[in-house]
Amino acid sequence: MTGGGTSNGDAGAHGLLGRTQSICPRCRRVLDAELVERDGRVLLTRTCPEHGSIEAVVYGDAKRYAEIQRFSKPGEEPRERQTESLRGCPHDCGICPEHAQHTCLGIIEVNTACNLDCPICFADSGSGQQEHGYSLTLEQVESMLDAFVRAEGEPESVQLSGGEPSIHPQILEMLQAARERGIPLVMLNTNGIRLARDPRFAPALAEIGVHVYLQFDGFSDATQLAIRGKSLTEEKLRALDRCAEAGVSVSLAAAVERGLNEHEVGEIVRFGVEHPAVSGVFFQPVTHSGRFRADADPLDKLTNSDLIELIAAQLPDWFRDDDFVPVPCCSPTCRSATFALYDGEDLVPLPRLVDVEQYLDYVTNRAVPDLDVREALEGLWSAKAAGGSAPVAERLECIACATAMPPELREVAARGFMIVIQDFQDPYTLDVEKLRKCCVSEIVPDGRLIPFCAYNSVGYREQVRLQMSEHSGNGAVAPR
Amino acid sequence: MTAAGAERLTALYPDATLTGDDLKSCCAAVYGHPAVRWLLGDELHPGGEETTRLALRLAGLKPGERLLDVASGTGASALLAGRDFGTHAVGVEYGEEAVDDARAAASEAGLERRVSFVRGDAEELPAADSSFDVVLCECSLCTFPDKERAVAEFHRVLRPGGRLALSDVVIDDERLPERLHGALATIACVGAALPADGYERLLSGAGFTDLEREPRQEDAARFAERIEDRLRGARLLGFDSLAELPLPVDEALDAIGAAREAISDGALGYAIFSATRR
Repeated sequence: MTGGGTSNGDAGAHGLLGRTQSICPRCRRVLDAELVERDGRVLLTRTCPEHGSIEAVVYGDAKRYAEIQRFSKPGEEPRERQTESLRGCPHDCGICPEHAQHTCLGIIEVNTACNLDCPICFADSGSGQQEHGYSLTLEQVESMLDAFVRAEGEPESVQLSGGEPSIHPQILEMLQAARERGIPLVMLNTNGIRLARDPRFAPALAEIGVHVYLQFDGFSDATQLAIRGKSLTEEKLRALDRCAEAGVSVSLAAAVERGLNEHEVGEIVRFGVEHPAVSGVFFQPVTHSGRFRADADPLDKLTNSDLIELIAAQLPDWFRDDDFVPVPCCSPTCRSATFALYDGEDLVPLPRLVDVEQYLDYVTNRAVPDLDVREALEGLWSAKAAGGSAPVAERLECIACATAMPPELREVAARGFMIVIQDFQDPYTLDVEKLRKCCVSEIVPDGRLIPFCAYNSVGYREQVRLQMSEHSGNGAVAPR
Repeated sequence: MTAAGAERLTALYPDATLTGDDLKSCCAAVYGHPAVRWLLGDELHPGGEETTRLALRLAGLKPGERLLDVASGTGASALLAGRDFGTHAVGVEYGEEAVDDARAAASEAGLERRVSFVRGDAEELPAADSSFDVVLCECSLCTFPDKERAVAEFHRVLRPGGRLALSDVVIDDERLPERLHGALATIACVGAALPADGYERLLSGAGFTDLEREPRQEDAARFAERIEDRLRGARLLGFDSLAELPLPVDEALDAIGAAREAISDGALGYAIFSATRR
């Protein structure tokens, strides 16, 4: 198939690592699939009766892939499941009875409109007149938050996204509504333009207690033109300075694409640890869903292991590959993270001071020295964590306390800088087994919680958008 | 060690002339210190559990056999042998607190019937002749003041045909930098370490045969890196010295930097020796 990395070889001739199911990126039908090792990488392969052989790289280092499987924590039950198993995974999302995990991070996309037209947008948002678009009401968002609270009891983390959520006229009320439901980490996923241009916005976020998740892909104009459609460095810097001034903590979110901004990851970390507003960086290999590079070669995509290697190679005095420990709640290949202590000169990753791997290894049969420490580490190595947030600081302090770390180190340890590498799946890389353990959910207006990668790969995004647009004509949605 | 470092060490351990029994007490005190245990990890020796397992495999330890762990610290290796190899293990340790901790760990692990700990001196082992199948001594012989006597004791308590697993720091005497000699370096297992053939001469001198050597250079490198990382952590978190340890962090970082360099040059390393008692 076009761009599908047609295989002439027999997958069985290479090391078979596992069996799962996937979909055909063209017709979305569910197919039996194999995870195979080839040339030191891990590929997901399957054959569609209509569209032929499909292969995609899902992890760049087969050896590390095998090693990290032990970082897999048994799934937890959500309090409520919203859908029934009818068609089989991944076509019953919502959460269905087959799903093997609860939700750590809920995402609410409050609108489809945006003040940018990023070529990479997986949400297919934009500034122009859109055929299908919507904007949620405050009441809708409140009922979605309530659905999240019903499903999780005490959810710890929610992110309002879009579109560009900061241009929604009621965004502050929506963020406030999340805080009022006792959710400690409320994030706003934004491109920063409103933060830069509206001097009242950062102080308003500070007052509500919002953590900003700021798209920040690098410094070069070429990078930004390709990813965002225009150069925004000045606006980003102004947005960050306004956050620092107002006391808003920020995670930088960088979409990384091969051949575009790979070379900038080290510089982004360096910039982040120096900037007073920034408490962490999230790196995401660009996914080829939505409108970006529909013709991109799925055998040439960046994966988590590639990003880990890039960071370690660009900052060799600070990081080694093994400083990035997989998050055990979801599949260990989805997300890796580290916390770093920095004093303006030297930087030491937390796993060098505490044996994190020993605590987050659920397979190797050994005694866990301290269950409280494990629980704290589970809360840190989690999709619900962001550097600089109160729950994260508390857990860092707990670890410093409970381990043999001398007392003088504890307070400073609480200020750890978080670096996350998170690989979302696209229609080429979708692995149904992995999806069953997904703990990041899109909360949709009808109250379903749809695993993020299913939302973007299987067709849910398009369904929701169509459904919402029909309700609203074009633009604001009337409450149903 | 610098003169200032020696003074601080003397101030902390006023009776330590750093020979004989005093050196033993000093070592036991330093290795029992919580800050040192944080720096080195619970195993307190390069390679950790993985290298302990390898040493026990090289000595051919079998289920039901009797193991003596000399300088057993807080008991990690003896407990590992009891748990994973199904052996009856006794740990001998000079530091009283470490013996208490080891006993507590054994009972917590439910292994107290199979693994026990006694206070004792490696140069005068509290054990009958020919009473053990395997003797393990990890990263400790180099700190013993009378190594010949200790090795003779290993030989005495082993049954004929019994095996010794000895892991230790190895040096290239001529190439080891000056700053890695001296009293503190002795406690740190470096200053009084021997070249590989030095250990082998000791062992054959005591009557051991079938000598084999397994170089573990990468264990030494990782161990030194770990110590350096933790010292960097301590420094950036803003203190001069870890708790009341005698050495300021900066000085310790200098020393560990020199050690890492020596390790990558091959002037300093780690190895497992195994041998059979005739």
